[in-house]
Amino acid sequence: QVHSLQELRRSASLATKVFVQRDYSDGTTCQFQTKFPPELESRIERQLFEETVKTLNGFYAEAEKIGGSSYLEGCLACATAYFIFLCMETHYEKVLKKISKYIQEQNEKIYAPRGLLLTDPLERGMRVIEISIYEDRCSSGSSSSGSSSSSSGGAGG
Amino acid sequence: MPAASGKRFKPSKYVPVSAAAIFLVGATTLFFAFTCPWLSLYVSPVIPIYNAVVFLFVLANFSMATFMDPGIFPRAEEDEDKEDDFRAPLYKTVEIKGIQVRMKCWAVSAGEKLCQPSLSPSSPHRQEFDHHCPWVNNCIGRRNYRYFFLFLLSLTTHIMGVFGFGLLYVLYQAELSGVRMAVTMAVMCVASLFFIPVAGLTGFHVVLVARGRTTNEQVTGKFRGGVNPFTNGCCKNVSRVLCSSPAPRYLGRPRAEQTVLVRPPFLRPEVSDGQITVKIMDNGIQTELKRTKSKGSLEVTESQSADAEPPPPPKPDLSRYTGMRTHLTLATNEDSSLLGKDSPPTPTMYKYRPGYSSSSSSAALPHSTSAKLSRVNSLKEPNSICESGHKPSYRSEPSLEPENFRSPTFGKSFPFDPLSSGSRSSSLKSAQGTGFELGHLQSIRSEGTTSTSYKSLVNQTRNGSLSYDSLLTPSDSPDFESVQAGPEPDPPVGYTSPFLSARIAQQRETDLHGRFAGAVSPKHVPPREPSPVRYDNLSRHIVASIQEREKLLQQPPAPGREDDAGLADSGIQSTPGSSNAPRTSSSSDDSKRSPLGKNPLTRPAPPRFGKPEPHHALRVRSLGSPEQPAAPHLGKSVSYSSQKTAASQAGVPEAEEVALQPLLAPKDEAQMRTSYSKSNGQPKSLGPAAPSPGPVPLSSPTRGGVKKVSGVGGTTYEISV
Repeated sequence: QVHSLQELRRSASLATKVFVQRDYSDGTTCQFQTKFPPELESRIERQLFEETVKTLNGFYAEAEKIGGSSYLEGCLACATAYFIFLCMETHYEKVLKKISKYIQEQNEKIYAPRGLLLTDPLERGMRVIEISIYEDRCSSGSSSSGSSSSSSGGAGG
Repeated sequence: MPAASGKRFKPSKYVPVSAAAIFLVGATTLFFAFTCPWLSLYVSPVIPIYNAVVFLFVLANFSMATFMDPGIFPRAEEDEDKEDDFRAPLYKTVEIKGIQVRMKCWAVSAGEKLCQPSLSPSSPHRQEFDHHCPWVNNCIGRRNYRYFFLFLLSLTTHIMGVFGFGLLYVLYQAELSGVRMAVTMAVMCVASLFFIPVAGLTGFHVVLVARGRTTNEQVTGKFRGGVNPFTNGCCKNVSRVLCSSPAPRYLGRPRAEQTVLVRPPFLRPEVSDGQITVKIMDNGIQTELKRTKSKGSLEVTESQSADAEPPPPPKPDLSRYTGMRTHLTLATNEDSSLLGKDSPPTPTMYKYRPGYSSSSSSAALPHSTSAKLSRVNSLKEPNSICESGHKPSYRSEPSLEPENFRSPTFGKSFPFDPLSSGSRSSSLKSAQGTGFELGHLQSIRSEGTTSTSYKSLVNQTRNGSLSYDSLLTPSDSPDFESVQAGPEPDPPVGYTSPFLSARIAQQRETDLHGRFAGAVSPKHVPPREPSPVRYDNLSRHIVASIQEREKLLQQPPAPGREDDAGLADSGIQSTPGSSNAPRTSSSSDDSKRSPLGKNPLTRPAPPRFGKPEPHHALRVRSLGSPEQPAAPHLGKSVSYSSQKTAASQAGVPEAEEVALQPLLAPKDEAQMRTSYSKSNGQPKSLGPAAPSPGPVPLSSPTRGGVKKVSGVGGTTYEISV
């Protein structure tokens, strides 16, 4: 059947992007809104999404946490005229690495199988969590990939 | 002039920073060269060391402040072309920490929108933009603010140190001539010259840090009111600036390779039972069981109440529902519409008859079904009893009450349960304790009251027999049993519209009497949907009574049957009686029904029940009989059954009446009879005639034992007590 061939060439095309904005209700700390975007209604379970965002929020809170370790780090940096930054990475950067690993893992396990992709907020300046929604190109699903894919393609840079 | 990336090289831009650098480094060097040796010899060697340290600190911070970007957002390439977007921010108000803050929203890039509080970060380009420092030739933002602040502090300290020690030198020198003196004096002058602005700036920023503001905010007077939503308190602000871990830069980061491939086929969220929110549209008492998947729930509810719309193409995760939906769709278009339309407060009805359940359980009908009744009493028992006889009817019920049938699966309460319990209990009471009752009672109980009968119904439906056909085919005992055995537990969470439950009961009756052939055509249900609202309001009672009736109908054709049917009818009828509106609708339904023939199924409302085929009505009655104990039930069931029977068949009325009798308590009976007869007459006449007369007698609140229950929609139901 023709389908087999088509199936082999099945690929997903970017349909649209959803942006999860920052939640400023707690000040300028880096938090993202856990409100479930309506575009994801049919793509992923609400609970999974919320869990992802909450975990990310937790990570960011940990990164910005002011504690003994961060204070010491600051003092050390001052003492060494910030040369220490050449050798070791800051606490914040460590957490950022954890975040990116987490996002990668989430993408692999949960989002990609559902045709979604999370973008690390760091790549967007910590402003939004960008979720790309893909549509199966072979399916006749409602995919508004036309304009959005072109624009998203442009924005991918 | 070298041009860098198309930008013009502006030397003037670098004047301040150059001057600052020159002065800083130069003066300090001279200080070290000329002043420090004497100081180290005559005062203390610590001085140069101290000054060296401070100077180093200054340099480090200066460098960091100069060369560290303030947190510039990485922008997509096309952002350069979309400058206009940046210039046209939209504003919206957001509450931050209890304070209304205006947010500026920019379209940053393709569809991406950036909303920032318009106070703190004033520019979409930089995070927490503070200001542009010409001395550092850099914008100060979130990232380098710390270094800038420390730079200021250290510079101030350094200047003070240099000036002080120079002064010391000068003071201690006997002669005020010499190169050293001159140099020292020069350095002191420079130091003092710079001290005033730097100290001033430092002090300014100290205040800013303490207040948690940025320079921009302070200068533009945004916080004149003294209210800053972004402040965390003085100490916290200071610590946040100084002690928090330095934020990383955004630009120039190595782009992580996208190693995750997105390949179809894609999973779709599963609409698990637990997630389906059965939203019962009742009087605002919406029992939303678990709204994990709003869409799913929507679909579920819609499928139930949807106007005969086939469910969306079943997705794998929704496969569960597929069957149900299909059934639902097939089964009752109108039922669903009835269900979905209005949200009569089944709960209201249900609540209204709390006693029914209990009473129903204890009701002991003389009929053969009494045994079953006892089972009903247990309420918790699976509706096995009901199963035996009522499968067919139950089966069809699910179609009427999609929620019900889902509830076992979802663990949600059946919307019908309250209804069913109510109606069932009444019907049970009125009926002769048929198996239906048990089922009804059980279901009712599950709710907390008694909808056993309903539950059995639901159970049945759960088994997958959601179509009307099941109702019609009486031989589903096995299914019924299985259904019954299961689920009790799904306590009716929501309320399916009483309309539905009534429908189901009707369907059951139809089924039961399906053998009567021709009489019942579940498919005919659709036509009768005149007043879903009312039925919904009737809710529990009606449903319960309906169910009971059905059970009764399902009972072995034996003696109790007719009685049951009649009772059930009465039970069902009682509900409608409770409200004028439903009554009217029911009567109208009845009227409709009559022309339709026996479409018990189509009528969720009590009157409908009365309408279905005669045998159905009979069945209903039998169902109702078990409920006799509860007076109100009786009243209801009686009226209901009376209505039903009257509507449905000509020859039945008597039978129904007879059936009703055992169900009703003596006094109620009389009442019921009256109402029943009235209703009996009504339904039939209603068809052609105006429906109002039918329900009227039942609806009079003044009726003995008639309670008025008002539903959400403003509908009032009279429940004959």
